[in-house]
Amino acid sequence: MNAPSLAATGLGANTVLVLLGCGIFGALAGAVGTFVIARRRSLIADVAGHAALPGVCLAFLAGEALHIGGRTPWLLLIGAACTALLAAWFVPWLTRRFAIGADGATAVSLALFFGLGAVLLSLVQSHESGSQGGLRRLLFGSAAATSSADVKTLAALAFVTLVALALLFKELSLLAFDEQHARTLGFPVRSLDLLLTLLLVATVVAGMQLAGIVLVVAMVITPAAAARFFRGSIARVTAIAACLGAASAVCGVLVSLEFEHLPTGPAMTLSAAGLFLVALLATTRGRAEAVQS
Amino acid sequence: MNGFLQEFIAIDLPALAAALLALIACGTLGNWLVLRKESMTGDAIAHAVLPGLVAGFLVTGSRSVTAMFAGASIAGVAAIMLAGWVRKRTRLEPGASLGVVFTAFFALGVALLESQGARQIDLDPDCVLFGSLETLFLVSVHDKPWYTTLPHELWTLFAAAVLAIGFSVLFMKELALLAFDRNHARQTGSAPRVLESLLLAVTSACVVASFEAVGTILVVALLACPALIASPHARSVRGQIAMSLVAGSALTVAGYAMAAFAPKIFGAPSALNAAGMIAVLLAIAVPASHMLRAMLRGA
Repeated sequence: MNAPSLAATGLGANTVLVLLGCGIFGALAGAVGTFVIARRRSLIADVAGHAALPGVCLAFLAGEALHIGGRTPWLLLIGAACTALLAAWFVPWLTRRFAIGADGATAVSLALFFGLGAVLLSLVQSHESGSQGGLRRLLFGSAAATSSADVKTLAALAFVTLVALALLFKELSLLAFDEQHARTLGFPVRSLDLLLTLLLVATVVAGMQLAGIVLVVAMVITPAAAARFFRGSIARVTAIAACLGAASAVCGVLVSLEFEHLPTGPAMTLSAAGLFLVALLATTRGRAEAVQS
Repeated sequence: MNGFLQEFIAIDLPALAAALLALIACGTLGNWLVLRKESMTGDAIAHAVLPGLVAGFLVTGSRSVTAMFAGASIAGVAAIMLAGWVRKRTRLEPGASLGVVFTAFFALGVALLESQGARQIDLDPDCVLFGSLETLFLVSVHDKPWYTTLPHELWTLFAAAVLAIGFSVLFMKELALLAFDRNHARQTGSAPRVLESLLLAVTSACVVASFEAVGTILVVALLACPALIASPHARSVRGQIAMSLVAGSALTVAGYAMAAFAPKIFGAPSALNAAGMIAVLLAIAVPASHMLRAMLRGA
């Protein structure tokens, strides 16, 4: 179960499973990220990721109170999804209802949901005395500590979300890249926005244990931003984003298995940032040469 | 009762003082960020200072305040400049370019912190996020005079609060012009770019000073919420700053009291996270204050 023994077994069955699960999650995050960025929702993704924390803690406390065990996986997932969804709704509500700018609304929501998470986590920690790690591990993610049953659940969730995204690809592309056109064609823009939010929340929840609550947003934004450097159709850019996401996730897991103290989230984030930097430098050099010749 | 009072002076008073000083430092500057619609810049700085803080420690090998402070300030300013450069190069939305940069900086900081070399710093990722108001301030009140046993964070925070107030008062007119009409500021020759860089540097310094004691989450809340609580009621910038500090102080004291004393009254085993509780109260007060304004206008 713990990191060193898993790393020692090399490419054991569980490691392959974890890598596969992370790869699917990374592909999903990259693909969803393409639409999130185009719809200018990057920082809402940040809030939604952080907002999973109070949900997880509430689910833990509810599980304890109902005597079904605090760490019931499906209960934690539902709790995280509920608060993440609430936060994604709360940010635009603040800007619509009051004279608060988007930046202020984002910061206030972050303070509210993550602050609540901090308070509830301290409450949970006074309950789960003696057990090392526990929910705290969710902050920065730990692929090595994720059981194979959990990986299967998360990979299934990520895969279903990816299929849903593929089925609704045309509608989401119109919404994200040409909202006016979508309106003229009579697309239900508000429902599609809700759908994009649901896809984002599913991504956050699926990545929570692997990439961690604090940095899961990086897996949504960074590979998708890097894919923007490549030219081509929306489908091509989305596919590239998915590939970059999968590559950063797998690379991050391998690195974090190598260094046992390094949580998975920062490792994935740094891998994605590295790919972003390479793409940025490669394309700007290519363009400079094209201009010169 | 005497025991309670001693415990209060030893544990709660320093923590409360730290939270209030952080409020003065970040809350004052937050007014300029909110007026310039840059609240999330504060969030980005609060995350980006971490690798500089840890690198400052690793380079000097000691918990020297100056080295960590210098490293963190450099990291904060560098992250914002890098985000601006990425945005220009890529034409990404501002949120995305900011997000790419500050998550990478923060991840680097956590990685450095978790690696073996940095284990000696008594700063773990939990403290970085949620602050250490509860644990940092165990002062021994024995034979030494009280001011020699104060934790060094309080002095740093005091300097930051003085810096924030001094900067805002000194450049009140120029900052207000910059916030409301940047073009006019440029035409009348008040060098907006210099002032903008200065604001960024001062903000970074205050974030770094607050960061260790109250954590990223409360820094973000302090930069955005007090100003947004005051903004619907204020008639002048000066009034908004004053109002934000008064309201912010009241909520900070209330939040600390709820976290530290409420669990004891209800018989819970330990105190709750104070930084988180203050952040929640500040955040709830923002829509509440806007609703109050609407009600007053209606009446």
